[in-house]
Amino acid sequence: MSYHYGQGYPGARHPAPNAPYSGAGAPYGSAPSTPYGGAAVPPGGYYGPGQGGYGGQPHGAPSRHPPPSGNIPPGVNPEAYQWFQSVDTDHSGFINLKELKQALVNSNWSSFNDETCLMMINMFDKTKSGRMDLFGFSALWDFMQRWRALFQQYDRDRSGSINGTELHQALAQMGYNLSPQFSESLVRRFSVHAARPGMQLDRFIHVCTQLQSMTQVFREKDTTMTGNIRLNYEDFLSGAITRLM
Amino acid sequence: MAYHSPYRAPPHINTPPDQSFLWNIFQRVDKDRSGVISDSELQQALSNGTWTPFNPVTVRSIISMFDRENKAGVNFNEFAGVWKYITDWQNIFRTYDRDNSGFIDKNELKQALTGFGYRLSDQFYGTLIEKFDRQRKGQVAFDDFIQCCIVLQRLTDVFRRYDTDQDGWIQVSYEQYLSMVFNIV
Repeated sequence: MSYHYGQGYPGARHPAPNAPYSGAGAPYGSAPSTPYGGAAVPPGGYYGPGQGGYGGQPHGAPSRHPPPSGNIPPGVNPEAYQWFQSVDTDHSGFINLKELKQALVNSNWSSFNDETCLMMINMFDKTKSGRMDLFGFSALWDFMQRWRALFQQYDRDRSGSINGTELHQALAQMGYNLSPQFSESLVRRFSVHAARPGMQLDRFIHVCTQLQSMTQVFREKDTTMTGNIRLNYEDFLSGAITRLM
Repeated sequence: MAYHSPYRAPPHINTPPDQSFLWNIFQRVDKDRSGVISDSELQQALSNGTWTPFNPVTVRSIISMFDRENKAGVNFNEFAGVWKYITDWQNIFRTYDRDNSGFIDKNELKQALTGFGYRLSDQFYGTLIEKFDRQRKGQVAFDDFIQCCIVLQRLTDVFRRYDTDQDGWIQVSYEQYLSMVFNIV
């Protein structure tokens, strides 16, 4: 397969949702970028909680309650604020892995897997304490809204999961130059049940985010822009361990 | 079951535990009596020796290693493998955790991995500690130690497959690189 550099890497033409590892390398607090395909989805808009049957509906469906008045810190999404109150079950002021896992579901009502929850906590945990404060949580809320909208957009047969063909189309539209076999392998690898191959929302978010970050690692090494890199054992390990998890 | 566990390891660690011993444990861990031990059942049964929940990602890694039918759990036959796997790691960990603190530090981690045949720089051991130290103590607990070793082994295996001339260097394309790190080669 001949590789054409410049077509394959996302980010060049399409900004990724809140591209956590790209650019300035500031995962937290960077301005959320628009989702692919133009118009930004308003948080809690048409893919908001309690609608559509797609995953990630927070418990306590905040959209059904009147928005709280006052005391929402600036920069915090009001819906994220309400959701935070119901997810923070121990009222610690922080969301830990257990609380996050209980709050997020896929379209088949399975809870989000630990790897995806951990990855999201690491992305939005400014204090590096293994948990998120309200500001981190609000950023996560925006991140989730965008990925959920993308997931729904690419789940063309409305099955609630992404199959190999759908993933290939999704990655191609995001600007990745990867073979259909690659997408098929990814779906097989991350399907919960081998009999019914398909990627749930949690894995879709996980895989797409890791793809962005590992593409960035590759791009940093590919200084001659040939689409091929030479790297040694320890560099390989370091790249994967520091950026994949 | 694992480190500092309520379930005592059999006295002679090198002889395989007998079936009734394992069956007894299996039934206690399989709380819903489904005949299959799930991630959460195994996680609840395991102790990392530090009074914090066992790393769920480690539990997932171990279950997927022995779950041959992709049923998100292990049956009794597969559980025998899980048991041996964890007790083997437990013995290794104890060797390096000399003060029985439940944690091993960077030097001990280096000794352990050097013992397995890894040759890695000091800087890299710093990276490992930083990445696998879930409790942010500058040291790794038993569960995180297992996870660290699993990840290292997985990445080393895939690197080796590409390093056909065994010189420690590989040349890979973009898609090959992604396939390697996603472990779908």
